[in-house]
Formats: sequence, C-alpha cells, structure tokens
Amino acid sequence: MLLEIEEEVRVHPRYADLQHLLGLVLMGLGEMEKAESHFLEALRLNPSYREAMINLGFLNAEMGRWEKAEEIFLTDAKRHPRDGFPRHVLGILYLRAGRLKEGAARIYQAIQRQSYYRDYYRKKGVWQGGEVHLDQNAEKALGKIHFSDPYAQFHNFIGLHLAKKGRFAQAVRELKTAAVLKPDDFVFHANLGAVYYYQGAYQKAIHQFQRALKIDPSYGMGYANLSYVYALMCRPREAFRYMKKAVQINPRYADLHYNLALLYSDRKRYKEGAAELKNALRINPNYLFARINLGVLYEDQNRWKEATREYRKVLLVTPNDEHVRKRLERISSTGKR
Amino acid sequence: MLKEDFTIQSNLRRMLVRTSINYSKMDFGTVKGVVYIRGIFQLSYISPNADEDELKDLTVKTLHAFEKKVRNIPGVSDVMFQLLNWRKERGHWVPIEVRKKEEKDEKDENKTASGL
Repeated sequence: MLLEIEEEVRVHPRYADLQHLLGLVLMGLGEMEKAESHFLEALRLNPSYREAMINLGFLNAEMGRWEKAEEIFLTDAKRHPRDGFPRHVLGILYLRAGRLKEGAARIYQAIQRQSYYRDYYRKKGVWQGGEVHLDQNAEKALGKIHFSDPYAQFHNFIGLHLAKKGRFAQAVRELKTAAVLKPDDFVFHANLGAVYYYQGAYQKAIHQFQRALKIDPSYGMGYANLSYVYALMCRPREAFRYMKKAVQINPRYADLHYNLALLYSDRKRYKEGAAELKNALRINPNYLFARINLGVLYEDQNRWKEATREYRKVLLVTPNDEHVRKRLERISSTGKR
Repeated sequence: MLKEDFTIQSNLRRMLVRTSINYSKMDFGTVKGVVYIRGIFQLSYISPNADEDELKDLTVKTLHAFEKKVRNIPGVSDVMFQLLNWRKERGHWVPIEVRKKEEKDEKDENKTASGL
C-alpha cells in the first residue's frame, strides 16, 4: 500500500492531499522523519491545510519536540479562536511538559469554547464544580489521549483501502481500531457503518451510522446510508423516513432528492415524487435518470403531454435509449398525446 | 419490496463497492426495474505492469461480469449502459476511443491509398 501511495505521489507531486496522506502512512509506520518531509511539502503546496498542520504538530510532539509542537498548536488556536480542539491539545502538551498551570488554563479555555470538552473532562474527573482539577491520575489519563489522533487517521485510511479491495473483515478491524483510538470522531463510525453495509451486516451498519449521527447530527449522508440499509432489510417505512431527513439536512444534493423521489414513486405518491425529481433537476439539469423517472411519473398520472416532453428531452441526449423511445412511441400510437 | 426501484438502487450501490470498478466517474439510476449506468468505466486497480491488451481484456471481462451481476439483482428487468468510453455492439464490448482511432486510421489509409 505504501508503494502504491508513493507511486501516486510520484505521478502527482503537487497534490497536497497525497503528500499529507503519505506523511500519515509513514508516521503510522514509524518513519517520522520521512513523514515530516511530506507534511511539510503538503503545507508548502497548501499553506492553509489545517489537517496537515495538526498532524505535523502531533508528529513533533511524538518526537519530543515540544516547542515546535507548541508553536503549531498556538498558531492554530490563534487562527481558530472559537475552536476548543487546539486549546485542548495545548493543555495536554503542557501537562506532559510538567507545566501544570498553563495546562489547566488551556483545558479551561477548551471547556469554555465547546461543551463537548466539558463532558469529556467531567468524565475524566478533571472538571469538577466549574473548575479544572489536576492530580496525578488525571495527568496520566490525559497523557495518552490526543496523540493517538494521527494513528486513528492512519488506521482509518488503511481500513478504507482494504475495503476498496474487498477485504472487509480486515477493514472492519482497522476501522474499529480507529474508532477506539478516537471514539468521538463520527467519521470512523460512519466508515465502519459503510463497510458493514457493503459486507451485508445490516444491524451492525445501523448501529455504527447511529453512533456517527449521535456525535454529529448534521451528518446528512448518515441518514441516507441508514435509508439504503433499511431498504435492503425490506423496511421501507424507515428507509423513507431517513431519506427524508437526509434531504432536509442536505437540500443541495440532487442525488438525495432523486432517491427520495424513488421512494415516493415506489409508494405511488406520484406528485411528491415528481416534485423531488424537479428539485433534483433544478440542482442538476443534466440529471438524465431524473428526467426519465419524471416522464414515467407523468405517465403514471396520465399526464401524456408532460411525459412526452420529458422523453423528447431525454432522446436529445441519448437517442438510442430504446426504453424511452418505446415509451414515447406507445404514447404517440395510442393517441394520448 | 424487492422489486422497488429504491431497493434496486441500494443493492446496486452495495454491489458496486464490492467490484474492482472505479465508480467515481459513473452515475446510475433505476426506472421501473431498468438500471441505467452512465459515465466513464474504469478499473479501480490497474497493475503497473499490465500492457494495453491485458488491460483491455481485463476491462472487457469486468464489464461482462458487472452486467451479469446487475441483471441478477432482484427486480432488474434490463440494464442500459450509456458509457462514454465503452460500447456494447452485438454482444461485444468495444472501447470507444480505440474504435474512433481505428476509424481515423482507416480514413487516413484510404486517403493515402487514393493519393497514390
């Protein structure tokens, strides 16, 4: 896999994403200096690449270069004044360096900015009665936490790579490791859910998508994925409910409107189906399937003129579509036009 | 339920991931059991040592296997491929670019012949 990514980087040396990815994989394999050079290259290509910057910070921390790591996270904190994350990492960095007062101050700032960190530190016994309390146990518990971030990403990447190759059991193992290393990241649960879905383990897929949605309720594709899974479980009511929710959250995704239209159409709710197809076509006027489905829905409602119009538009793009041609001929021959 | 278009879509989505097809440049839709597949057909992994003929053979085999799999999805009555780079002619898959190139070569040959 490393060879594959190295080859891709060789072919596309100016892709910051690829440079970052290679850095991440090398870091996961313990090749810290090589990893550093690729993170730096990613940042040279795209100076505002936050993920690469954060992983470079973690890499420096891993290598015991506290000052460099501190500098990176201080810069990130300045750039993102409302984000608790860099303050949280700085807190842990200071604790590790024995700078307890500064550590407590940063943890306090993280808690002030995001309620997630309040719950997080409360569970660790650090946030008590509106104050940060640091004792030896807390220091020990916190010490390990966030340096696992890049490793979680590493396992996530390996998992996705294995899934693409159809090695689902191994992919699940990697993604589970990612989710254990960083349980509060919805992406790992979402990816795990997707792999279970591909594997046919539908209940497990539902569980993971729901976990992802609990962490990030705005993850619209999570609802769409739940809908696909429920459809395969022959539970159309849930499939319908979740696709509706997905469309509510992502109203600009033509594909989701299309899928919702299919669900309406399957339930013979033609008007609502047509409305969703029109939404899909408004977003993407070249969405050919949506136009064919719209024609069929008009046919189902005996709206021959509109059906004819849509089929003609389709045939302008794909004149060899025999199904659409037959539908059009049938309308013409029966004089329904 | 199994014959419904949305279920076919969901099955197709799941099936695509389990193939060696790079589906990032493909779209698919379902209309009353007829599956439409549009876009560019590519394999997701190509051995760096494979030559052009090997790649073509492998792609053709993958296309045949893919079509068979789609037809096996419950509720699918037909599959319409509207690919930009491959076309099915009398049961055989033909790469469109190569075909155009061959036609161009033929034309060039004819021109040269008439020139002679």
